[in-house]
Amino acid sequence: MIGADSLLRAREPSALAGARRLTVFYDERPIPASDADTVTSALLGVGVVATGRSLKYRRPRGPYCLQGDCGTCLVRIDGVPNHRACTTPVRDGMRVERQNRVLAGGPDPTALVDRLFASNIDHHHFMVRPKLVNRMMQDVARNLAGLGTLPDLPAAAVRPMEHRPQVLVVGAGRSGLAATARLRAAGLEVECLDRFDARWSTPTAQAVRWETPVFGIYPAEGVIAAIGGTADDRTLHTFRPSHVLIATGARDVMVPVPNNDLPGVFAARGLLGLLTRTDTALNCPTIVVGAPAVAQPLAARLGASFVAVDDVQAILGGSRVEAIATSSGKREAGCVALAARPAPVSELARQAGAEVVWMDAGFAVARDELGRCGQGPWTLWACGEACGVTADVAADDGLRVADNILAAVRSRPDRGPR
Amino acid sequence: MTQRMFICRCEDVTVAEVDHAIGIGLESVEEIKRYTGLGTGPCQGKECTVALVHLLLDRGRITASAVQPFTARPPAEPVTLAELASLAELTGPAELAAPAELASPAGEAPPSGATP
Amino acid sequence: MSPRPTLGSRGVALPAACDVAIVGGGVMGLATAYHLSQVSRLRVVVLERSYLVSGASGRNGGGVRMQWGDEGNVRIMMESIEICRGLTQELGINLWFRQGGYLFVARTEAGEARLIRNAELHRAIGAPTRLMSAEEARELVPDLEVSGIRLAAFNAEDGVVFPWPFVWGYAGQAIRRGVVVRTHTAAIAAEPDGSGMRLRLSTGEHLRAQIVVNATGAWSHDLNRSLGIALPNRPHRHEILSTEPLKPFLNPLVVDLQSGLYFSQSTRGEVVAGITVPGGHDDGTVVDQRSSLRFLAHLGANLVALMPRLGALKVLRQWAGPYDVSPDGEAIVGPTPGIPALLQVCGFTGHGFMMAPAVGRILANYIAHQQRHPMLERWDPARFAGGATLRREDMIIG
Repeated sequence: MIGADSLLRAREPSALAGARRLTVFYDERPIPASDADTVTSALLGVGVVATGRSLKYRRPRGPYCLQGDCGTCLVRIDGVPNHRACTTPVRDGMRVERQNRVLAGGPDPTALVDRLFASNIDHHHFMVRPKLVNRMMQDVARNLAGLGTLPDLPAAAVRPMEHRPQVLVVGAGRSGLAATARLRAAGLEVECLDRFDARWSTPTAQAVRWETPVFGIYPAEGVIAAIGGTADDRTLHTFRPSHVLIATGARDVMVPVPNNDLPGVFAARGLLGLLTRTDTALNCPTIVVGAPAVAQPLAARLGASFVAVDDVQAILGGSRVEAIATSSGKREAGCVALAARPAPVSELARQAGAEVVWMDAGFAVARDELGRCGQGPWTLWACGEACGVTADVAADDGLRVADNILAAVRSRPDRGPR
Repeated sequence: MTQRMFICRCEDVTVAEVDHAIGIGLESVEEIKRYTGLGTGPCQGKECTVALVHLLLDRGRITASAVQPFTARPPAEPVTLAELASLAELTGPAELAAPAELASPAGEAPPSGATP
Repeated sequence: MSPRPTLGSRGVALPAACDVAIVGGGVMGLATAYHLSQVSRLRVVVLERSYLVSGASGRNGGGVRMQWGDEGNVRIMMESIEICRGLTQELGINLWFRQGGYLFVARTEAGEARLIRNAELHRAIGAPTRLMSAEEARELVPDLEVSGIRLAAFNAEDGVVFPWPFVWGYAGQAIRRGVVVRTHTAAIAAEPDGSGMRLRLSTGEHLRAQIVVNATGAWSHDLNRSLGIALPNRPHRHEILSTEPLKPFLNPLVVDLQSGLYFSQSTRGEVVAGITVPGGHDDGTVVDQRSSLRFLAHLGANLVALMPRLGALKVLRQWAGPYDVSPDGEAIVGPTPGIPALLQVCGFTGHGFMMAPAVGRILANYIAHQQRHPMLERWDPARFAGGATLRREDMIIG
């Protein structure tokens, strides 16, 4: 059963209903879902865009980036708080709950905060005096802060596993997969990791450890750590490779326009990824906002209309997007997709000691002409969009850097896996 | 709904609040992070850092050639205490390698901003 | 037009000379500057090498407690906590001071004996510490795993603060009262200059002062070395983490005496936790602020053992900061032997932040009015020279 307010529809009529053989429970309400669904896509399928409330102004919030980066789609799943709905694949019978609500049902009285404090709340100087008022404010703030409540149960056991490959490739996007294939074809022992499941990526014959995000690179200890596995069978992997190739790609970031936080405002590339993964199309009038060069092609692929970011006066709506106000009038919208140039993802490279340079889209990993960006317990390399290379040539860039890694390995054949 | 333009939705930090921080003399990415709370929520700056840099460039507070993001502290992805606990028997010696052993390829010392 | 800077600036003009130059814009230096502006008309300049809260004052866990082993430290902290009660209003900034108490748990006979001895001391001087059984401790912290816990001690007056606004609050009020706070400016060398000192700054400028206060804590060697001074305090890397924020579930800050594990919940809801990592190392005199996987693993194992329900909590970020460790765990405060115009205020061994409200006042009264607080004798920088036996504070955590 898909409501009229669903944001998504099947590309092929009737295809979706047949595929939706799973059931997840959202605040105890059963919701149909398909194998390809994430928690977020299943919720969008029944028109749910707001899953929480913001910390300070108590505004309704929901997913934005749809790529596991932004942190406002957090929900409680099977008794554990703060799971990212947008990248969590659904399982049959999964229990999903909203967080950070004052009352379980009915309207949330704290929603008034947004209206009562129409100017900004300066939390450093808010209700400092008198002391009694300050103390009451602190109690209220403490109870409004925090997302979710304690986990229901202690966590399940986790297995540690050590690996010593010749090369560790971090990221199985275009450049990482191309490099992995080239290095393996040359006989090297390569581990390739990706933080998401295979459905987000292009199909590949390469063996990849999917759903195994690297969370820390510790050059001083010579170790790289990643966490993987299914919800109840977790493995903590540590890697001590001779070469590390950072292929972490690029992400969507926030575009400041008034009311850019309303539920139903999404990152345009993330939205495209969600539609591709679930084989769906948008079921509501959608407007892509951004600079023309970036936003217009995305609007075409999303089947949406386009408004230049400079023409946007504000996104309009209450608990979700209803329209946008532009310099030439109001335009109805069920969802708004913000399009900025993808920003290189450089956090892991920086943890590894690499330097970054500002390019207009974000901070790109700085590397030498061969692709190297650091030397320590391993040689650090980087390729693809993480270095500011555009997506269309990222695979070629991965191949080029892989060739340079091969040359480095062959020039020092004694330095195998340790 | 009050009209607000957000730069960091995790911590509800608006463009107006960043402008206020600039107004009281804070000028770097690190200072504004600490004063406004921007980048300290669940996303750890993944959503907001680039927008902040654009704003600071626009306000003439920083130069594109010198700007650095705030320190990338692990973990970059969510990992639980129980998952980390599984490593307790495996992790190596207490000593960290001396900083000099971690030089960049050209041999120069890492910038001071890179200390975690 | 932007309003006048209120939190220090790299652009503020320095005078050629001042009465008191405070090197180090951490909480200790700024609290001293603030109190000097209250109790004197001295011209005060604070120099901070980076931005405010960049050092240990911006990296600590924010614990504030009067449960110490040494009577002097208990009294100092009773004074500090008394100041904290009204400090949000005095400084005009929210410090998020919350008195949820400190709960110490002991697993060994020796630890149990320490808690008993300390509780007697605390009672004698009016600090409301009470001993409790493991079962009573579980009433305070419902999900605590209490097997193996022999005894616990709880003081409801102890608490936590959010460290950053402390620093901004002292800076803002000091600046309002005429103190010059210059950021991104390090004092790289000092030399005697008549009855005072002359500082050479990283910006190429010079500053003359009648009195120089070295309030750079773990970095204090940098300035002392230029004068040939070698005090025995050493920086020690200490790591800490915070988790995803949750609704309030934990009131006290909990300390396991055996492992050195401590954890609390901030007003924002994050669990903030640190621990002593065994097999420590000698940092020499260089401050090391790198994070380690080993710390995460060790902390995770100990925290999950003590409170299993926290196992599924996600870590949000980890960082490190220096403890400024002195040989006896006591601070080093007062005139430098042989250089009376240079005052040291360092060696606080991980508890400088919580003591700063009291120490700033003590030091300001000493500088302005030569008032000698009883602790200044204990903290005398000259005490290490004579080879005398030093009393050691035994409640250093982390």
